[in-house]
Amino acid sequence: MAQAEAFETDFWKDANLRKAWDGIVPGAPRATIPYTLTREAIELYCRSVGEDHPIYFDEAYAKTTRYGGLIAPPSIHILLMFSCTPADDWMRSPGTVNAGQSWSYNIPARPNDVITLQARALDKFIKRERLFVVHDNVFFNQHGDVICSGRGWTIRPE
Amino acid sequence: MTTSFETLNAGDSIDGPKFAVSRESIRLFCDASLDYNPLHLDDDYMKGNFGKTNFGGIIMHGMNNFGLISRMLTDWAYPAGAIHRRLETRWVKPVKPGDTIQPTGIIKSKQVTKNSRWVLIDVMVRNQTGEKVATGEAMVEFPN
Repeated sequence: MAQAEAFETDFWKDANLRKAWDGIVPGAPRATIPYTLTREAIELYCRSVGEDHPIYFDEAYAKTTRYGGLIAPPSIHILLMFSCTPADDWMRSPGTVNAGQSWSYNIPARPNDVITLQARALDKFIKRERLFVVHDNVFFNQHGDVICSGRGWTIRPE
Repeated sequence: MTTSFETLNAGDSIDGPKFAVSRESIRLFCDASLDYNPLHLDDDYMKGNFGKTNFGGIIMHGMNNFGLISRMLTDWAYPAGAIHRRLETRWVKPVKPGDTIQPTGIIKSKQVTKNSRWVLIDVMVRNQTGEKVATGEAMVEFPN
């Protein structure tokens, strides 16, 4: 797994460096890092959810479509959330439970796009004794165009 | 018959493909998404309690549901020249290895705005016993 080789897959490592619920400040930006989206990473993601549409794999076909070339599936932001954040990002805290997400899509990400992320916690609250954080996120390509924007609700580990 | 904005009606359904969940499919999603949360990998960790919840073993990523719903929507929209514009989901029940899940959608309404045409869709994912594991809403644009 080419992309996993350069990525720390042990989320326990550096766990003590990540902010817990008490230390997360709504409104404060999260640190992010640019990420070059490869065709290989898109194809691996497609395989994991059974995406088999030729617009993701067949360049000759993709050129005949409205997009004029290969694109990534809209839900590629699932990968981008982790590839565009550093190891001490609190989204990696073991025990983080995803409660739901909403995403809006503007233009597709494409192979070799250099993706950047603007992200922050937007809100935090306690409900039924559980510690929630709302996070919002906008992904851009190298031209500054919005690819997609989204909001998520996670239950934080105690 | 190709889907078109004009011929769609509230109550029309969209069926996504079934997806067999296994330890291997969950591990593949870890590698593809870079989400290596031990919720999805570590049996010993999952013996513990999470507040009031005990999952009893590793669980599938909630976002795997999201990816399956998104796949259903794009596979439905592309042949019609339509564009998947929004998806909101909530996870209702954990999904575990051995489950088989399937996304579906039901057209809720259509709306025309100044510059385009929109279809609103209720989406859900059910497991092999028919239980809802995820619900949500989607918007697909049919450009003029």
